[in-house]
Amino acid sequence: MATAASAPPPALTFPRPIFAAVSPHPFLQAHLSADKSAIRANGRAAHEFRTPGVNTGSLTHCNGSAVVRLGNTSVVCGVRAEILREEDTPGTSAPAAVDASGEVDDDEINEEGEDEIADLRLLVPNIELSTGSTPAHIPGNAPSTAQQSLITRIRTLLHSTQLLRARDLRITHTPPTNASDPDAAPESELKGYWVLYLDVFFLSLDGCAFDAAWLSILAALKHTRLPRAYFDDEYEGILCSDDPAEAASLNLRGLPVPSSFAVFEGRGEGEGEKGSDWVLSDPDAFEEGVCREIVTITVDQGTIRRVEKSGGGVVGRETMKTLVKRAVERWGVVEKATHGRA
Amino acid sequence: MVAPEVTLTHLNRADGSATYTHNGYAIIGAVNGPIEVQRRDEQPEEATLEVNVRPSAGVGTPRERHLETLLYNTLRSIILTRLIPRTLVQITLQVRSLPEEDTSAGVNTSLTLLPHLLHTAFLSLLSASIPLSTTLTSVLVAFPSSTTKSSTPLLTPTANELLRAKPIRSTHVFAFSGDRRLLLNESDGKFSYEEWEEACEMAEEICCKEEDQGGISLGESMEVDGAVQSQNLEKWLREVVTRKVEYEQRWKNAT
Repeated sequence: MATAASAPPPALTFPRPIFAAVSPHPFLQAHLSADKSAIRANGRAAHEFRTPGVNTGSLTHCNGSAVVRLGNTSVVCGVRAEILREEDTPGTSAPAAVDASGEVDDDEINEEGEDEIADLRLLVPNIELSTGSTPAHIPGNAPSTAQQSLITRIRTLLHSTQLLRARDLRITHTPPTNASDPDAAPESELKGYWVLYLDVFFLSLDGCAFDAAWLSILAALKHTRLPRAYFDDEYEGILCSDDPAEAASLNLRGLPVPSSFAVFEGRGEGEGEKGSDWVLSDPDAFEEGVCREIVTITVDQGTIRRVEKSGGGVVGRETMKTLVKRAVERWGVVEKATHGRA
Repeated sequence: MVAPEVTLTHLNRADGSATYTHNGYAIIGAVNGPIEVQRRDEQPEEATLEVNVRPSAGVGTPRERHLETLLYNTLRSIILTRLIPRTLVQITLQVRSLPEEDTSAGVNTSLTLLPHLLHTAFLSLLSASIPLSTTLTSVLVAFPSSTTKSSTPLLTPTANELLRAKPIRSTHVFAFSGDRRLLLNESDGKFSYEEWEEACEMAEEICCKEEDQGGISLGESMEVDGAVQSQNLEKWLREVVTRKVEYEQRWKNAT
């Protein structure tokens, strides 16, 4: 295997795609260690990300939707809102307390009142890979470990960044008169919640599944408009207003943007010798197949929201510093892309 | 901090096993390997690794799949898989009990569980004599919100300490190899690079601190039965194994 990389006999030559398929690791190493122009097999420099393409509002029957492209990775995300009635929520959530915090909940982050989004599972992300989107995916099977792991990561990030405000999802009602004390002002009471189903569908997957899925969710949520829901006293149920002018957008907290990096560990000439290492931004599927160590840093403006790193020990404190810098730069690019057209 | 309690090789049907108890977390780990691998999973140049995490109640959920992925990635980097090609190493981790306050502590429960799972898996691998390239130690660091009075970082906090320090601003899990390389990091919350670096340094200190250096030590070297307790997790790990080996060789050494 190593002989094919270092010195193939003159008689034995491969065309490019065959070399890549037969020995992927030496193929990428040969690209990266080229003297003059060290460039990855996909034509990018080691630090170069793919330009994100964001297109929102392409699906008609959704409350919000987005198509995101990162090179050959293309993802569709649709947000559908459904109503969860207050009487259907588990009784332990103590509606009175929730209602009280709803009154207090101002613009500042109210950590106590935010538990209901996680507790009542008001956000339901799901990931599906379309048939033929990636060779690793066998259609018709139960979701693979990779898919389940991806959903968990998205769910965790949704909750830990507190992207959505519980106030936006609450459906409250203020009765015309106060039943207990006719003279006092009527108190608003909680009647239900909006539950958001975030369905992410991969049309094609060429690396960086998490980044693409998260960007599509972010763009779709930015574009989501919920109709005005109100409690009808005579009907004794929640109705939605038909007037699009009354619909409200979601007020998201910040814009957390993940950036993934893959560490390519070069092999030395001799047996057991270690070569130099490269950290590749935004790896594609071929590079992910060769690299073992993956680092994902989620940044919102200057602050880090999440760091995930596993698979090897190349990235230490020093390298992490440069990666954080790269992630912050990437945040600016993505921020422009999501605002530019949305 | 109390050092974790470990029983090694207590399941006699598995190739290697360990029970690990620390701060109310109890996990049983079992390793089978190298064993025959299914044709479809066989890799010509290295061993296949399989990690199963079973929760304390119910069946596995996507959360367990994610933990398995993290363990798989980390263990694959320390097991010398190329020495035992075309075989399978199967690691099963059963969570036996969690502290009562685990779910109400307000931090991501996968993060609080992860260091314990890593330790259990590593000790089980040792017990099964699977070839490893290095040791592995892991630690949890939590930063309470700066508005509360106790804003000093918590090192390997118990679930109760986390509950009392609520709200927690950020939690970090680090795993270090014996040669001080950062193998795994999961950080969650809101933090700057400087805070991350501080957490990383503290974790490295606990995981693989040199003997004669100053700084924070684990459990302030408690005297238990005349023997000085372990100073860092790496040393603790070695003590656990030494004790087991000495116990198994008691007949050989006595005669």
